[in-house]
Amino acid sequence: MAKREKRIEVLNLVKQFGDYTAVNNVSFKVYENEFFSLLGPSGCGKTTTLRCISGLEEPTAGEISISGQVMTSAEENLMVPPERREIGMVFQNYAVWPHMTVERNISYPLRLAKKSKREIAAKLDYLLDLLELQGLEKRFPSELSGGQQQRVALGRALSTDPKVMLLDEPLSNLDAKLREQMRFELKDLQQKTGISILYVTHDQVEAMAMSDRVAVMKKGDIVQEGSPHEIYENPKDQFVADFIGTMNFLPCTVTAKTDQGVNVRLGNGAEFGLDSGAERGDYILAVRPEDIVLGSEEGTDCEVDVRIFLGNLIEYRVRLGEDYLRVQTDASLRLEPGDQSRLMIKHGLIFPK
Amino acid sequence: MPAKSAVKKRSFDIRNVLMVFILLFFLAIIVYPLFLVVVKSVSTKTGLSLENYRKILLSSANMKAFWNSLWVSSVATLLCVTAGAGLAMFVVRTDIPGKSWLKMLLLLPYGIPPFIGAMAWAQLFGPVGYVSRLYTNLTGAFSAPWNIYSAAVVVIVLAVYQFPVVFITISGALGKIDTSLEEASRMSGAGPLRTLIDVTLPLITPAILASSLLAFVGCISNFGIPALLGFRARFFVLTTRIYSALAIPDMTLATAMAVLLAVTAGIPLLLAKRLERRSGKFTVISGKSVRPQTIKLGIWRIPIFAVVLTIALFAGVVPLLSMIITSFLTYWGAPLNSANMTFDHYKYILNLPMAVRAFRNSAFLATLAATITMFIGALVSYMSLRAKMKGAKVLDFMGTIPYAVPCVMVAIAMILAWSKPPLVLYGTIWVILAAYLVRYMPFSIRTTNATLQQVHFSLEEAARVSGAGWAQTMKDVVLPLIKPGLVAGWILVFMPALRELTISVLLWSQGAETLGVVIYNMQDAGYTQIAAALSTVVLFVILSGNAIVRKLSKGEITI
Ligand SMILES: Nc1ncnc2c1ncn2[C@@H]1O[C@H](COP(=O)(O)OP(=O)(O)OP(=O)(O)O)[C@@H](O)[C@H]1O
Ligand SMILES: [Mg+2]
Repeated sequence: MAKREKRIEVLNLVKQFGDYTAVNNVSFKVYENEFFSLLGPSGCGKTTTLRCISGLEEPTAGEISISGQVMTSAEENLMVPPERREIGMVFQNYAVWPHMTVERNISYPLRLAKKSKREIAAKLDYLLDLLELQGLEKRFPSELSGGQQQRVALGRALSTDPKVMLLDEPLSNLDAKLREQMRFELKDLQQKTGISILYVTHDQVEAMAMSDRVAVMKKGDIVQEGSPHEIYENPKDQFVADFIGTMNFLPCTVTAKTDQGVNVRLGNGAEFGLDSGAERGDYILAVRPEDIVLGSEEGTDCEVDVRIFLGNLIEYRVRLGEDYLRVQTDASLRLEPGDQSRLMIKHGLIFPK
Repeated sequence: MPAKSAVKKRSFDIRNVLMVFILLFFLAIIVYPLFLVVVKSVSTKTGLSLENYRKILLSSANMKAFWNSLWVSSVATLLCVTAGAGLAMFVVRTDIPGKSWLKMLLLLPYGIPPFIGAMAWAQLFGPVGYVSRLYTNLTGAFSAPWNIYSAAVVVIVLAVYQFPVVFITISGALGKIDTSLEEASRMSGAGPLRTLIDVTLPLITPAILASSLLAFVGCISNFGIPALLGFRARFFVLTTRIYSALAIPDMTLATAMAVLLAVTAGIPLLLAKRLERRSGKFTVISGKSVRPQTIKLGIWRIPIFAVVLTIALFAGVVPLLSMIITSFLTYWGAPLNSANMTFDHYKYILNLPMAVRAFRNSAFLATLAATITMFIGALVSYMSLRAKMKGAKVLDFMGTIPYAVPCVMVAIAMILAWSKPPLVLYGTIWVILAAYLVRYMPFSIRTTNATLQQVHFSLEEAARVSGAGWAQTMKDVVLPLIKPGLVAGWILVFMPALRELTISVLLWSQGAETLGVVIYNMQDAGYTQIAAALSTVVLFVILSGNAIVRKLSKGEITI
């Protein structure tokens, strides 16, 4: 693989508000043609990180480079103002200017860049087409739907062909249907234009669906970084495991080491083998609902508690001794609440207690 | 590789210079003069002491004025809050016909300056007033059984002119109550009336309390009404007593009484502010768009409508008509027929140098006051709300101090600060301007704060990341967005300044008369029609201005 160019580089970023540390020593890189997401629960410092990169916020410490140029450096007392960073940004609430028409909103950065009339018209045409906003150019934002306003915000951010785009939960205000549609469009747009997108969200499904790489944040720190697949398969700790996808957590004990891994005993006494290098002792077992086989011949006894139809899948909540587990099966297995059954755990992760 | 156009942070910032400049301005024009009043009120020949206050409290005339202020304001408040709450209830919450018309009529007195209102009431109910004449004609009595120049009428007129604020606040609160709370009460078995008493009233109690406190402050600080209706009956309140003290002039007495007034008015203001903050925590009044339930009045619908309409007409329309008719009458007391109508008084005004000067002066003062205060207000709001500059909050605080200071105290402060060298403004029009700047600064800062808060941060930031610098962002995004608010705010200062009375009546000098002063003096000297003609012109300007502001703010703001 050819070496890819770094578009955003964040080095040891710290941002304090008074004595509250919102971002604590965060470092990451976003490469060209990459969709990179910052994912984390509310208040973990995602927006703050984004605002530091855009130059709207002055960090307490650390360095930020965009396209190889140092833009912010707390150590060197350097701060390039946002208007000179040549980035596109889409705000959480769109921030389209209510006193400008769609056309003027989108072309504003172009006019600031003193582009010729012809160039502006051509670009506008292209963007209106790309974002399917034709016919709306003379309208004011108040005359647009939420999704349309958002596309205007996107158009404005894209108009100067920035190499870097920052998006702060741009889909959070949309209804489920439109949100899904916009996910595709955004991903599509990114691939078509080859730009780097730094995407902020607290919606793990969204991050998984769109990103090439994801950084999971917790209380101002990045706890894990990697491809969606890596993070899903190998969450580094219980927090990430819990945050990404659905996960069951059960207390367990590693009773012995074997050739294949370890033997694990659950609270109800059931014992089985698992691929792990853990030492003997008490742990938390993390199991995804789809990694459990329900209604198997062998395995441990359980009782069906609740059943939920998910269309092509069925999710059961089953009781296993004192613990409850969420299990997903395909729609062919039909069990009623109260039925006795058996289950087998195919795959699981072991975390320290 | 270093960035091509890197900017060192913490470089020289023009905004800091501006901030220092405004700070000095506020110190000179607001803090220093007000401080002088307090100092003067506690200085005696032997040094600082509370001797002056003791003197006030021992003088029966002063104490009487103080008590008069208290009881007159309390009764007027009680009156206008009862009426305000009741009428708001009827207009917002029942199926009374013509709601929006009634609302407009009830709010009309808001646009009428209180002292002009007092004149209109004198025209209606005075010894040869229209209503009095109607009464004597109908009954054959020698004179009407009431005396317009009395404490009771002062109370009534004060109540009428404080009423609109109370009405707006309470009907606003009523309109915003989450109806599901009331519906829940209905579902629990309470009838409409029970629900009203058990649920609705408690919910709007904070609004009622807050508006009562503000009405009280409005009454106790008012000068025009007790001056025009009380002087002749030798009925004094604090404000008119201070006016007399200044005429002597007895500065120590005046300052001490002004401080007394400021404290008496300041306590309810503080309470109102706390109430506002506390009631903000109960989010019972949600911003949700709700369709309030209306109570069916049944057979009472029309009688109640008639009563409300009569009140509404007497509060605004009738005084207004009386003012207009009076201004066209050949002589005061002339029978009402077309033969007795004339334009003479208007012609007279046009040829009266003092009146022409007053128009010019008032327009000049109001324009400057509105422009300067809005300009500074916008800067202060921007610095404190947007740039989040340290110290800008101090500016915001300083600029809003005068909100709690009654007009008479502002005027006294100006006399104390600006009648000694090096800067002698007293005796010129500039001292009135200075007072207006102090007086209207809080209103400007408030409107600019509110306007700026409506412009979301991110709109500005979006411009920055689009490539606009600070100045460009101001020009392309911030200013266009706040312009309607600024224009409305400008008019909101211009209008009251144009017809201001209390301050200018204490500070005017030959050649520096304002409209308020001329109208007041004309009325006082018995030139009823000249005063009426001038008032009619002023009212016309104010009501048109009000219409413009309503249009600009889409009905959200009225003068
Ligand atoms: N201007 C500010 N002053 C003080 N504290 C702030 C400021 N901005 C953010 N914070 C605090 O910093 C922390 C991180 O905020 P940030 O906005 O980055 O969170 P976030 O991860 O974007 O959350 P969300 O998903 O809710 O948008 C929060 O606890 C927040 O309260
Ligand atoms: Mg955020």
